[in-house]
Amino acid sequence: MTTMSKVNDRSLVVLILELQGESLAVETSYVREILDPVPVTTVPGAPPAVDGLINVRGRVVPLADLRLVFGMPQQEAGRDARIVVIEVPIDGDPTTVGIRADKVNEVTELAAASLESTPRIGLRWEPEFITCVGKRNGDFVAVLDMGRIFSRLLAHNKGAAVVPPAAGN
Amino acid sequence: MKKTILSVDDSASILQMVKLTLGGGGYDVVQASNGAEGLARARAGGIDMVLTDLNMPVMNGIAMIRELRKLPQCTGVPIIFLTTESAANMKQEAKAAGATGWITKPFQQDQLLGVVRKVLGA
Amino acid sequence: MSGSDPAQTYRQEAADLLEQLEQALLDLEHAPDDADLINTAFRALHTIKGSGAMFGFDAVAAFTHHVETAFDRVRKGEAAATPSLIAVVLAAKDQIRLLIDQPDSADEADAAALLNQLQAALAAPERAAAAPNSMVAWRLRFRLPRDAMAMGTNPLLLLDELRALGPCTVVADPSAIPPLQALDPTACHVAWEVTLLTAEPRSAIEQVFLFVLDEMQLDLEQITAEPSAPKPPPAPDRTEPARKPAHAEPASADTGSIRVPAARLDDLMDQVGELVIAQSRLKQIAGATSDAQVKTISEEIERLALELRDTTMGARLVPIGQLFGRFRRLVHDLSKELGKEVTLTLAGEETELDKTLIERLSDPLIHMIRNAVDHGIATPDQRAAAGKPRQGRVGLTARHLGHEVLISVTDDGNGLDRARIQQRAEEQGMLAPGTRLPDAELFRLIMEPGFSTAREVTSVSGRGVGMDVVRRAIEALRGSVDIASRPGEGSEFTLHLPLTLAIIDGLLVRVGAGRYVIPLSAIEECVELSAEDDTRSRGHTFLNIRGSLVPFLRLREVFASGTDPDTYQKVVIVSAGDQRVGLVVDQVIGDHQTVIKSLSKLHADVGAFSGATILGDGTVALILEVAHLVEHGQHRDESLPQAAE
Repeated sequence: MTTMSKVNDRSLVVLILELQGESLAVETSYVREILDPVPVTTVPGAPPAVDGLINVRGRVVPLADLRLVFGMPQQEAGRDARIVVIEVPIDGDPTTVGIRADKVNEVTELAAASLESTPRIGLRWEPEFITCVGKRNGDFVAVLDMGRIFSRLLAHNKGAAVVPPAAGN
Repeated sequence: MKKTILSVDDSASILQMVKLTLGGGGYDVVQASNGAEGLARARAGGIDMVLTDLNMPVMNGIAMIRELRKLPQCTGVPIIFLTTESAANMKQEAKAAGATGWITKPFQQDQLLGVVRKVLGA
Repeated sequence: MSGSDPAQTYRQEAADLLEQLEQALLDLEHAPDDADLINTAFRALHTIKGSGAMFGFDAVAAFTHHVETAFDRVRKGEAAATPSLIAVVLAAKDQIRLLIDQPDSADEADAAALLNQLQAALAAPERAAAAPNSMVAWRLRFRLPRDAMAMGTNPLLLLDELRALGPCTVVADPSAIPPLQALDPTACHVAWEVTLLTAEPRSAIEQVFLFVLDEMQLDLEQITAEPSAPKPPPAPDRTEPARKPAHAEPASADTGSIRVPAARLDDLMDQVGELVIAQSRLKQIAGATSDAQVKTISEEIERLALELRDTTMGARLVPIGQLFGRFRRLVHDLSKELGKEVTLTLAGEETELDKTLIERLSDPLIHMIRNAVDHGIATPDQRAAAGKPRQGRVGLTARHLGHEVLISVTDDGNGLDRARIQQRAEEQGMLAPGTRLPDAELFRLIMEPGFSTAREVTSVSGRGVGMDVVRRAIEALRGSVDIASRPGEGSEFTLHLPLTLAIIDGLLVRVGAGRYVIPLSAIEECVELSAEDDTRSRGHTFLNIRGSLVPFLRLREVFASGTDPDTYQKVVIVSAGDQRVGLVVDQVIGDHQTVIKSLSKLHADVGAFSGATILGDGTVALILEVAHLVEHGQHRDESLPQAAE
């Protein structure tokens, strides 16, 4: 359950990204690096939302496409596309994951006063994936709970990640 | 692929011993009883090494070695001759004719294998 | 027992002493300077001689006297315990035994011959077996006559002979190589400079060049006479175990060892891994350039990086006896708690494993031992009723086999109950009722999650903690578990583990646009798949490889690569255990030493891959999990329900 009320006591420093025209925020405490797009290796048999692997300074890191998690259209990203490398707890274990962003806007502080409970309607993100909502330039921007998003992804994957057998030749 | 050794000697017992020893060591052995036969066999090709006595009728070992070295199919092929301890000048002559190395008579089977492995490999 | 016949007493005493003598001599081969061993051998000989004289075994005494005298010289340091001396003394020991047991068959001539050999061995200036102190460094520079190769001399074989004398560094001197127009390919233009570390004398080095010594240029000089060469740490593919007790350090008898924090070794391993990756990138660049100097350096660095890798892996090896030792207490306590009588026998404690592997084996092994004592072995009364000894035996053995370490947990208990396993599997829906599986496969089912045939849950084995936990732990180490069992006789659980977690040799292949690495140790061979064979095998699940039928998988389809196949595909035939499968790929690119990066949690369930690696061009390639694909290939069109991954 989202812990809305507690968050109101402090401000959050977040990274604002854009995905298919929507803005979202990630707590900078989770962000490790921001990269220009790099070659991606596809992992056959992996769930489509996390079916890539990239090389980050000698480490092999999974690459997630949140557009698939949130049912967004998948238009080709332009020259502003970036990969944001985050480290989040998945089922309690800190895990490094990359997420695609069409654009990375800025690092900003969402002041305590602007952090509000999630309105129940009118938001395009699943409420349970949102830590809280902040106001920025007059607009609402959701701070996503990356840990929960990926934990959910992992839970979905179990029992479904068998490489599909070839159906005859 | 097994390597093929041409064994040239006018003594049938030596030929037999060599064939048994080197055959058991993983090599194929073909035989000739004198220099001329040896030369003819070498001309036919496929020889990886030659082992020869020096003192033979029809064509002796030194002459055969000299002729072998003229054959393109023998370039780079190791030629080992049998010699007795005392015949130091034979060594010179044989090397001058193009021999690669020698084995001193009498020799044991493992000595023979040792020299063959040394110049030919396994 | 029979105090009455002194001769009989002597015979028994002599038999014990001869055994001691033999053990000491065998150990002496590996530690020729070990004073304790030398003394043990000498004392045995001395006593055999002395008592023999007293009890009328004159021939024995006389013969042994000579052997003792000879050995006394070794004891005084006047002669070395060379391998040939040890061999002769061992033969003499056999002769002594013959003289004691069957004096009539003993041949005088044999005895005399042995004594001659003994003298010869003492006099021979042979070096002591592997005594690092007498290693000397030499520098050779040699140039063969121009026509040496045409005359049948193979310089590579000469270099191999040098390498057989000891560790070598070989550097070619290309300075006399003429430009291409003037190059005679049958002529030897290259000279060499070799640094050699050996205990052999100068004559042994010159002997290598015996046939060309007169015509060649050879500079041979000793660089240093100090015994400075440290013995290299044990390499991972050593097949001879050190004959030391399990808790001894893995270092040699002469050099000491130091404690290194485990974390530092891990860091070292990581850095070596990074170096191997960087080196493979350099290799790529060197391959694309025509600059000879860059190519040479790249080769040199490749050689050094691989040596460093091997040395580092060796430094992380630890004898498994460390782990095994803890289990004695475990079995002891378990037996008491469960009211059983069980002994634990250990073998192969000197078998070495990567240290992280050992730590991660502890839990699975504890679990398997608990199972063995709890479920495998029956109570003493039950065992007695079945005609078995009251005391049950649990065995732990470890050994190297090829590139693997095999660890077995055996018990001489009831064995696995085939019928119950079959029944449970059918209940669980793992097996279609009535399916008949070979033992090995049926037993494997007990490692599926949720499978437990234990009628009661004891405090020892816990509730629901089954073999699936063990299997997962072992598979996480890129290993596998084999189970064998005979009803009434017992069971054997064998863990197959790779020698190291960190680096493997692999074959890089391309399937569609993706590149994958197949562990070399799993590959049997590669064959071409012509277009006709490809078409001919559509609709079939087997390929005909030289007369035998091999199930195959088109990786293009398994991985849904969405591309058209290359005209000339290849089939990489891999095996896991005794099952094979052919993997059809578009292209075999080449060998690739890879540093294995494990997959994250998000990809841990993708059974087809065991890890990932970074290629020379910086991209990521996945490493195939052969066991998974082999099973996949075997069961493709059998009607087994899909096992939950």
